[in-house]
Amino acid sequence: MASQAVRGGARQVKPLLSLDNEEARKRALNLYKAWYRQLPYIVRQYDIPKSVEQCRQRLREEFKKHECLTDVRVIDMLIIKGQMELKETVHVWKQKGHIMSYFKPTAEPKPTDFLSKFLQGVN
Amino acid sequence: MLRITAQKSLAGAKVSPKHLFPIFSRSSTDVAKKPEKIEVFIDDKPVLVEPGTTVLQAAALVGVEIPRFCYHERLAVAGNCRMCLVEVEKSPKPVAACAMPVMKGWRIKTDSEMTRKAREGVMEFLLVNHPLDCPICDQGGECDLQDQSMAFGSDRSRFTDIDFSGKRAVEDKDIGPLIKTIMTRCIHCTRCIRFASEVAGIDDLGTTGRGSDMQVGTYVEKFFLSELSGNVIDLCPVGALTSKPYSFTARPWETRKTDSIDVLDAVGSNIVVCTRTGDVLRILPRINEDINEEWLSDKSRFAYDGLKRQRLVTPMLRDACGELKPVDWEAALLGVGKVLKAAGGNITAVAGGLADAEALVALKDLVNKLGSEAVCIENSFPLDGSGTDLRSSYLLNNKIAPAEEADLVLLIGTNPRLEAPLLNSRIRKGYVHNETEIAVIGPKIDLRYDYIHLGEDPSIIRQIENGQHAFVKKLKSAKKPLVILGSDTLSRSDGAAILSSVQSLSRGLQDEMCDPEWKVLNILHKVANQVAALDIGYTPDLSKICESSPKVLYLLGADDCGITRADLPDGCFIVYQGHHGDQGASIADAVLPGIAYTEKQATYVNTEGRAQQTLVAVTPPGLAREDWKIIRALSEIVGAKLPYDSLEEIRYRLEEVAPHLTRYGCAEAANYFCEALELGKKTNAPIDTSPLDVKQKTLEDFYMTDVISRASPTMAKCVAAVQKQNLSKY
Amino acid sequence: MSYFGLNKLGTLLNIIKESGGIRASLYKLYRMDELKLGTLIGTDKYGNKYYENPRFFYGRNRWVEYAPQYRLEYDGSQVPAEWFGWLHYKTDLPPDKDPGRPKYKWMADHTENLSGTTGQYVPYSTTVPKIEAWKPK
Repeated sequence: MASQAVRGGARQVKPLLSLDNEEARKRALNLYKAWYRQLPYIVRQYDIPKSVEQCRQRLREEFKKHECLTDVRVIDMLIIKGQMELKETVHVWKQKGHIMSYFKPTAEPKPTDFLSKFLQGVN
Repeated sequence: MLRITAQKSLAGAKVSPKHLFPIFSRSSTDVAKKPEKIEVFIDDKPVLVEPGTTVLQAAALVGVEIPRFCYHERLAVAGNCRMCLVEVEKSPKPVAACAMPVMKGWRIKTDSEMTRKAREGVMEFLLVNHPLDCPICDQGGECDLQDQSMAFGSDRSRFTDIDFSGKRAVEDKDIGPLIKTIMTRCIHCTRCIRFASEVAGIDDLGTTGRGSDMQVGTYVEKFFLSELSGNVIDLCPVGALTSKPYSFTARPWETRKTDSIDVLDAVGSNIVVCTRTGDVLRILPRINEDINEEWLSDKSRFAYDGLKRQRLVTPMLRDACGELKPVDWEAALLGVGKVLKAAGGNITAVAGGLADAEALVALKDLVNKLGSEAVCIENSFPLDGSGTDLRSSYLLNNKIAPAEEADLVLLIGTNPRLEAPLLNSRIRKGYVHNETEIAVIGPKIDLRYDYIHLGEDPSIIRQIENGQHAFVKKLKSAKKPLVILGSDTLSRSDGAAILSSVQSLSRGLQDEMCDPEWKVLNILHKVANQVAALDIGYTPDLSKICESSPKVLYLLGADDCGITRADLPDGCFIVYQGHHGDQGASIADAVLPGIAYTEKQATYVNTEGRAQQTLVAVTPPGLAREDWKIIRALSEIVGAKLPYDSLEEIRYRLEEVAPHLTRYGCAEAANYFCEALELGKKTNAPIDTSPLDVKQKTLEDFYMTDVISRASPTMAKCVAAVQKQNLSKY
Repeated sequence: MSYFGLNKLGTLLNIIKESGGIRASLYKLYRMDELKLGTLIGTDKYGNKYYENPRFFYGRNRWVEYAPQYRLEYDGSQVPAEWFGWLHYKTDLPPDKDPGRPKYKWMADHTENLSGTTGQYVPYSTTVPKIEAWKPK
């Protein structure tokens, strides 16, 4: 038992879904496509004040946010989460507000420079 | 608690005596003349101690804490509570550990059957006469009696009041506006009496009666008024003496404790700020052997309610009708920025004593960037000779703690009792234990110890310097002389002459010293951050302000400089930045609300040159902002942006200016004493004949000296109490 | 005549006449979204007029025409308490014809709902503020 572990050298971890990066990439693309195709229905079903084009842009942003990830397990976990989100959306387990919360319409950007932080009293 | 120390001692016991032996033997050969150490056994653990060590101290060396009520490390041994009884082998009776010196080969048992029985018995007797009012007692949760009865007391009571005659009850005393007494709770440990007579030097407290009729109190109806009186609250092991302003406020476990620094005098005592829901509830001392031991002056301890009154919570600008009107930050900064720009470099900044080092350096940078060099502090200080260029001429060079080792102290134009009570307690300690002689040049004041009054005439200093005075002989024969010069003296018109005279006098003594670490020359300041301001490069030439006719006067917490509208040219715009509405804010055209020391993380340097920092205990009120941030924001509005955005960055700037300002806890020693003296000699100005004077003469003047304590209702009550006391016949 | 619905036309003309002409009728229609013919039962001290027409169904046969100074800013709280009862069928006696209605000097004047105006009630804290601010003299 112990000798096996020593022989292993680098720590082996159990994969979540994908065995390598290529497979994870495919899964990510599949998820992207699934969302992409669903978007027109989402816009209609939830009656959100956004066009399909805006939704596509938001979808792209959401995927681009995790562009830099290389760890297969992390990518897999995000894919699983994305699938769960998609399922909840498709089955209308969500409500309009949940969909709109992707767009964060009321979130105000936080001040970054010293003076505006000072005036808002957040530093 | 006790269990932890017991575990520690067990862990320590693993080191075998074999290992310890060479260490001890080596040290004993080094000091050949010292008497042999004697070996005793605490719970069968051997320990080598100096002869004369008490059983309690020997036990503490191996980490065994013996319960006690009356014993206190910093007070004389009384030995009257009997809680520290321990068994000594072959002794028929248990002995009081706090008072009994160990003998060779004693085997002390701190956890034997006899010891435990003795403790239980003592506890039972104490509790017979102690009320069961823990639920309404302010000491609850930090009560020694409560804790020790849990640890060592019996698990059942034999107190059955068959006749319903009631427990012993004692009438409460009124001993002033700070200390609340519930004398029924008193267990007669006499710690308060010993503190009053030994440390504070006030023999007002004492005992009357004996046996169960014994009472602690003032013999006559009298207030216990001392600048250190609050410490008896901490000393009292039970709830007999509690804090009056804090009574029925909170339990100790409800409060958040933040370590901080006191800024109400120049000593920089270490404190703990107890807060709950954004409210400062009380201030306690924190042990720092180099500064305040475990004491705290009354002003530092009780002036915290001044932090809740008269606060500046919103920026204000003077409108067309000449009234200060609240505005938002943007309007205030724009308003001030416009004036600063228009002034074209004709700006003067004055910093008060409560301004922190970060704000000081930011303000200096801003004013310099705008093309002015006029940054000064409130108190004037001689500028002739070396002026404030050499730190040795404005520091308490010998530090606070060694003051108790001095054998001769010469106080010139200062009242350490009220200006720095904890320094005075050190001098008094030397007076009591080392037979220190104290001499005073200046007005006759009550210092709570005897001193030789040399007179009020400042020319005495010259006489001593030239060796013409009779006192010189004493001064020369002293092994560790100390000269303490008050800052009141330095703000005189002949301050430079006095300083240079004192410098040469101390130099003469210094040259004869064999100990190079001992510094004879000491300057005692009165306000918290004077030293930091001088270190950063503020100049103490307030009088020149009015002559230079500035277009903008920027007051950074400067309330005591005595500048009025009439002193300034017409159309001079006054900006006040600070946390309390006082003299400065009332003359200002624009008010920028800063924050007080409990609300910011800021650097303060005490009179010995020790940099320390306060920490954030509560959030700032209203729109008030950190002082250096206000200046930083203003700089951006004016268009002279300062290059720091965060605390780390401004601390880095602070380090550039003066590296010791960020070495927290270390006192940076000064040097160049000779050079300062040489530069000072060149001035050679005559000394006035007007007698030396100090601003704070009696206890009445002690309580309200700065914006925080002036706003404090408790401090006002103290002043009223002193006045009432003065009218009383006792 | 009724066969051709001409009597309806006659009623319309009557309503217009009672309302005070075509202009006034159009204004009333714009203001209150309906034109109804009824007998004037009374007028309160604020100028609101109360009408009744038993031809309409119960619940719609009593109504109020708010005083002209309110223009479009009328609302139900402008009906004073005494007329409220009549308007909501708590009583059939209009207040001026009700002998049992108490009238005392100390009775306060009716106030309409002031929410949303400067006169509205604003709750305030009675706890003492933790920080006492400095007030410039």
